[in-house]
Amino acid sequence: MWHSSSSTDNDATTGDIISVTIGATVPTGFEHTAAEEVKEKIGVDARISKDRGRIYFPITTDKLFQVHLLRSVDNLFVVVEEYDNYQFKESKEETLMELQELASKLPWTNALEVWKLNRTFKKKKGYRKGGNGTKGKPKSEAAGATVADTEQQELPQATSTVENQTEESVPEAESDTQDSVEAAPRAILIKFRVTCNRAGDKHSFSSNEAARDFGGAVQEFFQWKADMTKFDIEVLLNIHNVEVVIGIALTEESLHRRNISHFGPTTLRSTLCYGMLRLCKPQPSDIILDPMCGTGAIPLEGAIEFNSSFYIAGDNYDMAVNRTVNNICHIQKRRADKGSISGLPIDTVRWDLCSLPMRTSSVDIIITDMPFGKRMGSRKKNWDLYPSCLREMARVCRPGSGKAVLLTQDKKCFSKVTVIIR
Amino acid sequence: MKLLTHNMLTSHVKGVTKGYPLLIKATEVKMNEVEFNPQFVSRMIPKLEWSALVQAADELGQRQDLPGELVPDYEKNEDFLKKVHRLLLEVEVIEGCLQCPESGREFPISRGIPNMLLSEDEA
Repeated sequence: MWHSSSSTDNDATTGDIISVTIGATVPTGFEHTAAEEVKEKIGVDARISKDRGRIYFPITTDKLFQVHLLRSVDNLFVVVEEYDNYQFKESKEETLMELQELASKLPWTNALEVWKLNRTFKKKKGYRKGGNGTKGKPKSEAAGATVADTEQQELPQATSTVENQTEESVPEAESDTQDSVEAAPRAILIKFRVTCNRAGDKHSFSSNEAARDFGGAVQEFFQWKADMTKFDIEVLLNIHNVEVVIGIALTEESLHRRNISHFGPTTLRSTLCYGMLRLCKPQPSDIILDPMCGTGAIPLEGAIEFNSSFYIAGDNYDMAVNRTVNNICHIQKRRADKGSISGLPIDTVRWDLCSLPMRTSSVDIIITDMPFGKRMGSRKKNWDLYPSCLREMARVCRPGSGKAVLLTQDKKCFSKVTVIIR
Repeated sequence: MKLLTHNMLTSHVKGVTKGYPLLIKATEVKMNEVEFNPQFVSRMIPKLEWSALVQAADELGQRQDLPGELVPDYEKNEDFLKKVHRLLLEVEVIEGCLQCPESGREFPISRGIPNMLLSEDEA
């Protein structure tokens, strides 16, 4: 049984060092660059999941803060349990029943310790509610109180597993009882939600059904309050074919747009920008061009994370270059406020990329997000745009060592065009 | 606009053969502190058109004692590297224009952004 008490934050430093598995969601296609970053900054080997866009790696709690230094990850979670080859039951009823039973059998303790520890790294959010006296009651009483809400067959299971749990964790129970006696007026009501992601065509249930039933069992087990929007704990139930992972989220909102205060219609996630930059391996003094920069997300991420190169952001659209400059100023101001040297190695120019006002062979790397033709431009425009802009980009690139990393969704147009240019 | 960028910009007005370097006419210049990285500067110098940098520094009245030609062994001369660092990255033209040396066409600079777009008939 796991209570939260008001001494939560102090507990974090007295705990033993434990080892857990961390899961991270990353932009699809960039799993390998993210694993590289993990190896570089945390020093461990990451495993790439069959479920695209996910990597897993081990960490000890004394190094936990390092996960927040990673720039390629969108979201982080701590793994409670992983099943490589979960055998789902035939019927929906049986499957969902099994998921409910799972809630009380999972090894929550370590993951919850990590969740607690992780909270101390983040700014504290406002809404701590005090004094709900019922939280001080021992578990079995609370379970009994909810009989009316649950099906008859659940009750024997709920209480028997509760008893088991209490036996296993007697030391915890003792201290909790003491806490609850002293601290009952200040006990904190934990709010949670379950988020289920399900992929695969052989499941008999939907993600909503799984989240609902699993969540109901979690609620009953911990006596937390379910709240879909203002929650302290987000429990993740990820089901990808026969791979099932239960986790607890360590990030509140996605780390997507960390640098950008002025959005445009197609602003690229910072994590995706970082992945692209890592791919092109910027070297000191590299001149790096983004000739279709939009709001400047890619060069700005580069100027911050790979700051021994120089970035030139260009676009033909006046709103785009203005937003880029606004985003740069915003970051520089933030740095100045922290007392750091604020200037960034980046510049912005308004130009037409089909006729770049740049010296031939002056650029080391071109990195850009090509217009997809859906939200911006059109397929036909891409057809006309791609040959001339590719020619210009080839011209300004340094022969021999120059490289380009281009993000495009319009594969057909792109491959046809590269044949023409050659 | 930083002078490092200016060093790579060229006029692309149709028919112009000597569109580099662009002349700078600045009405507002600001200093913006950037962290000094000696490796960055010493590796950048060979990529620059040195005379264009000297000319630009002159036009902005920022040349100080920058030599007209590169001194040998500049890689180890931290004083020199710091001077170059300052010119390349810390001097910013906020308002003014860039002028094509051959056609005289002016490209305005506003909010630090040079507008290099050509009209239909110039391209």
